[in-house]
Amino acid sequence: MNLDFSQIVPYIPFMLEGIWVTLQFVFVAIIFGFILGTVLALFKIGSIRPLRWFADAYTSIFRGTPLILQLMIIYFAIPQLTGYDIQPFLSAVLAFGLNSSAYVSEIIRAGIQAVDKGQTEAAQALGVPYRQMMIDVILPQALKNILPALMNEFITLTKESALVSTISYLDLMRRAQVVGADLYRNFEPLLFVGLLYWLMVMGLTILGKLVERRLRLSD
Amino acid sequence: MIKVENLTKKFGENEVLSNISTEIKKGEVVSIIGPSGSGKSTFLRCINLLEKPTEGTILVDEENLTDPKTNILKVREKIGMVFQHFHLFPHLNVLDNLTYAPMKVKHLSKDQAEEKARGLLAKVGLTEKETAYPSSLSGGQKQRVAIARALAMEPDLMLFDEPTSALDPEMVKEVLDVMKDLAHSGMTMAVVTHEMGFAREVADRVLFLDHGVLVEEGEPNSFFTAPKTNRAADFLEKIL
Ligand SMILES: Nc1ncnc2c1ncn2[C@@H]1O[C@H](COP(=O)(O)OP(=O)(O)OP(=O)(O)O)[C@@H](O)[C@H]1O
Ligand SMILES: [Mg+2]
Repeated sequence: MNLDFSQIVPYIPFMLEGIWVTLQFVFVAIIFGFILGTVLALFKIGSIRPLRWFADAYTSIFRGTPLILQLMIIYFAIPQLTGYDIQPFLSAVLAFGLNSSAYVSEIIRAGIQAVDKGQTEAAQALGVPYRQMMIDVILPQALKNILPALMNEFITLTKESALVSTISYLDLMRRAQVVGADLYRNFEPLLFVGLLYWLMVMGLTILGKLVERRLRLSD
Repeated sequence: MIKVENLTKKFGENEVLSNISTEIKKGEVVSIIGPSGSGKSTFLRCINLLEKPTEGTILVDEENLTDPKTNILKVREKIGMVFQHFHLFPHLNVLDNLTYAPMKVKHLSKDQAEEKARGLLAKVGLTEKETAYPSSLSGGQKQRVAIARALAMEPDLMLFDEPTSALDPEMVKEVLDVMKDLAHSGMTMAVVTHEMGFAREVADRVLFLDHGVLVEEGEPNSFFTAPKTNRAADFLEKIL
């Protein structure tokens, strides 16, 4: 056994900074994925056939291919095809957001369909327009039921975010590799950022539980 | 107020309502009775277009509901509906259940809507439940809130689909009492019910449906004591 954590001490600020870098794009990707996922879910349950078809095809493609492939395509193919020199941050947000929206849309679709049909009828009978009904009556109830599933998706996204180290985005994972190369020792920095990932996921889990408890107040 | 002409409704090949014509006048209370599956709910739901009629016309205040140009939302604003299973909004408290549609649909201010809602809650005897959530209410209380919610839109017509069928027996009366008050205040009402007492006492007219056909309609006393058709007589014999 030859473990020496004292060697990584000078690198700790550098690695801690990675939390912020990772959280930054994870946060943007989650929001982006959630909004797009909601829209796709509404397409799926709506009555407009081409939109339904589009949302289903979209989901099928993004769930049916590896995330790392999607990330690579966005990072490498966009500059090649358009000449636009896409930044790692933007590629990461796009890849993770687009990918996540496919999963989120399925979660939300199931959540909407699980809301009692009587709720729709009650709102319709009161003359509430469809859009308003979705926003005020159906989605809040759907979200409450699917919160655990959504939280799961966000946690997965946070962990999978380590994939962006492959496009040289200086996230938490990438920083561990940089430190490892500098020190010629990999185990300590990897273990250290492992702990940081775990703490981030725990933070998300606790946040989810708090939100859930707040929503359950009305029961 | 409402004129139904040759209304037919099919679900696929299954003809659930056959060529029904009738009229409901302003201030009239009509009870719709008939065996299970005879099409009572479907008839009621056609009146506010929760079901789309296959054929025939429905006129509400001279406005033809089956005309594609008619604004269904506008028509529904004027027609309140009370369901067997209440369908209160579970994520909103009682007061918000009552103010939601008036604020969002009729664009009342919060103050106006709340004032109106409080008046209605007093009327159905639930003033102290203002901040309660539906899940904490008894069935009878839920149904009274549901009635108040529909009334908050100030409808010209109220539809009731078996409003007491899901209630424990001891709660039926509190709901029927609210409905009686409403009837006496001059509200136009169409009530699908198995409460023959209510039909007899409160209704101005009874419609008897069987297998989607309007078999008989008439004034309750003569209907219940001397039905004109065998089918109505058979039905009454079974349930009374
Ligand atoms: N959405 C639907 N799709 C297909 N069939 C339906 C639908 N709604 C109702 N039906 C059928 O229409 C017929 C009449 O139903 P309806 O609910 O109007 O009867 P009802 O008189 O209200 O009965 P109950 O007293 O049991 O409530 C039934 O045979 C029912 O199965
Ligand atoms: Mg029924």
